[in-house]
Amino acid sequence: MSDQAHMRTEHDLAPGEEEQHSVGTRILGYVVGLVLALLLTATSFFIAGTDLVWQPSIPVALIVLAIAQMGVHLVFFLHITTGPDNTNNVLALAFGLLVVFLVVGGTVWIMAHLNANMPAMDQIMPMRR
Amino acid sequence: MLGKLDWSAIPFDQPIPLIAGAVVLVGILAVLAWVVVKGHLPYLWHEWITSVDHKRIGVMYILLASVMLLRGGSDAIMMRIQQAVAYQSQGYLPPEHYNQIFSAHGTIMIFFVAMPFVIGLMNLIVPLQLGVRDVAFPTLNSVGFWLTATGALLVNLSLVIGEFARTGWLAFPPLSELSYSPGVGVDYYAWSLQISGVGTLVAGINLVTTVLKLRTKGMNYLRMPMFCWTTLASNLLIVAAFPILTATLAMLLLDRYLGFHFFTNEAGGNVMMFMNLIWAWGHPEVYILVLPAFGIFSEVVSTFSGKALFGYRSMVLATMAICVISFMVWLHHFFTMGAGPDVNAIFGIASMIIAIPTGVKIYNWLFTMYGGRIRFETPMLWSIGFMVTFIIGGLTGVLVAVPPADFILHNSMFLVAHFHNVIIGGVLFGAFAGFEYWFPKAFGFRLNDRWGKLAFWFTFLGFYVTFIPLYVAGMLGMTRRMQHYDVAAWRPWMLVAAVGMAVLTIGVICQIMQLVVSIRNREALRDHTGDPWDGRSLEWATSSPPPVFNFAFNPDVRGEDAYWDLKAHAKQQSLQHDAPEYHDIEMPRNSPTGFVCAFFATVMGFALIWHIWWMVILGGIGAFATFVVFAWRDHDEYVIPAEEVAAIDRVNLEERRSLVSMAGTV
Repeated sequence: MSDQAHMRTEHDLAPGEEEQHSVGTRILGYVVGLVLALLLTATSFFIAGTDLVWQPSIPVALIVLAIAQMGVHLVFFLHITTGPDNTNNVLALAFGLLVVFLVVGGTVWIMAHLNANMPAMDQIMPMRR
Repeated sequence: MLGKLDWSAIPFDQPIPLIAGAVVLVGILAVLAWVVVKGHLPYLWHEWITSVDHKRIGVMYILLASVMLLRGGSDAIMMRIQQAVAYQSQGYLPPEHYNQIFSAHGTIMIFFVAMPFVIGLMNLIVPLQLGVRDVAFPTLNSVGFWLTATGALLVNLSLVIGEFARTGWLAFPPLSELSYSPGVGVDYYAWSLQISGVGTLVAGINLVTTVLKLRTKGMNYLRMPMFCWTTLASNLLIVAAFPILTATLAMLLLDRYLGFHFFTNEAGGNVMMFMNLIWAWGHPEVYILVLPAFGIFSEVVSTFSGKALFGYRSMVLATMAICVISFMVWLHHFFTMGAGPDVNAIFGIASMIIAIPTGVKIYNWLFTMYGGRIRFETPMLWSIGFMVTFIIGGLTGVLVAVPPADFILHNSMFLVAHFHNVIIGGVLFGAFAGFEYWFPKAFGFRLNDRWGKLAFWFTFLGFYVTFIPLYVAGMLGMTRRMQHYDVAAWRPWMLVAAVGMAVLTIGVICQIMQLVVSIRNREALRDHTGDPWDGRSLEWATSSPPPVFNFAFNPDVRGEDAYWDLKAHAKQQSLQHDAPEYHDIEMPRNSPTGFVCAFFATVMGFALIWHIWWMVILGGIGAFATFVVFAWRDHDEYVIPAEEVAAIDRVNLEERRSLVSMAGTV
């Protein structure tokens, strides 16, 4: 399948296939990613235990940090870029996110409404003998 | 030592499964003995069982589906007879047996007939249509097939050893929980689906990657044949949806094996969550099955109308729209669960919206036929039969998508009639159309026309006689899965449905006869051209059956309907190629990885069902070791020398040239 392999590198890259960068540049990328990831993790642990910020904002801050963490992983470790050779990966990621959003969001919404046809608890209680 | 397994697992007191099991066992042993005595075993092992050739794997998928279709069909016949006779009596099937039969029927027909049939056709045809030599991951493909076969084997094993689930094809809790189903039936169900589910996921990943990454020169997205587009959409859905099924069944298994409380009645479990999750997979599953069928009809209608597909781009758009919207409608399977008018209304409207892209497709097929010179060959008959039948099924579907109507029709025979209407009329007719259409490509000879048309007419009419009465019975208030009943008004409709089942059975017999007759007359039916239907896409550009490398040269594509273009050019210039320069071709080596992996998966699955823990560990280690051995392989490709390629391709070119010159004189 040599001609196909050749064709592939001409047009776009399969997931996991690297463009020919020097080893130094690649290591630098991973190191930057690692430092950022560690920084975000450390910040999360710090914020969770601190009383320096307004308490109710802590969960929001943790969510923001978690999303940033995902971004770091996607960019530095999974090499999702906006380049034209990466359209498939970006689209696959978008489709995945959409499905997760639909299924998780839909589930939460459905499960929260399951008792819509039931009388409220204070009406049920007097019915019991 | 043997967990829950002892002699009481064999149902000596029930003659039907025992006799059926014995007959099947004798049949299998007879075939095996014949294979061994005739010395076909090495051929079978080297050319089929260990094959990583996508065409061979596709054929094996379809063979598996066909065999399981007979099993699922036998279940259907038994159910129809039971409901025909069980008026104010117990019928001939005791309730616990009847419950196993309808559960097995649904499970088998969806997971081991419809799924392998469409995956088999996709495997067989998509690389040929894309003009490439193989799929992206050939060995993984083989693993996927054999894991699917493992699931099928475990389901059939339950006939003789132990029992199958009595819970319906989706094993709803709390009935499927340990307290209400203490036997091994649900475990057989869950483990066979877990194992075959891995196989399906693997097949999905493989086909998505193939369509996205391996296309021949010039085959950009908007030049791909429609079947490749629907394959892409369907496999994207597999990749997105099957993990939900796996996770849901895993939670049910944790409940059953380790005393968790995800879906139990007590300790904070919530059965509604199971319905929600299983249908979040279950609805996309419907489109996983029917989208490839839509692709097949697109190919067939365009070929036999002698026209390019009408509205190709709108068809692509409709396919991808269905792909996304199919994840927004799952609640319509449980409107009655009580989510209230807001939620029900939104999901009801979404369900009606998904009918729009489907309608677009129907109009595109009609306009493709309009003004075309239609040849009513067997695949075309199945396609036209599909359009009529599927529209009726679609209309009753829009009806049950209206929540107030659904409250009346939910779990009635009307629903049973509706989903058989779309699955038989859509998926099965599509699978048969694809089977008739691509059979000459796979084996190099056509199928007998007369028996094919008889099979179509008997199946088509038999379908209506069987399922229209079920609509009526549903309207009269009959619920599904009844082992017996006392309402006189339902009786005549059940009798008519049983007659319809007989007609359907004749259809199946015609289908088998067609195969037998065609194989006996294969020399007369031989197709030398590789293009028996005057096709339009690249699978017809190579010989039938295609050589192992599919194409001596990866074709160069300049527009939609790639092969039609090539033919048109060749006719215009009465083109005689100079002898092209051939190159060596590297192909992946065959590998027993899939078969060995599936063997250990079978051992592990069986042991898990019967709680034989040492055997579970053994099977697990075996499967992992197989994987390690495969990962450390040294040679994964072999070279077909240029001379051999040239020799094979010259024969193909000769045939084709005489065809072109003949066409040129007309």
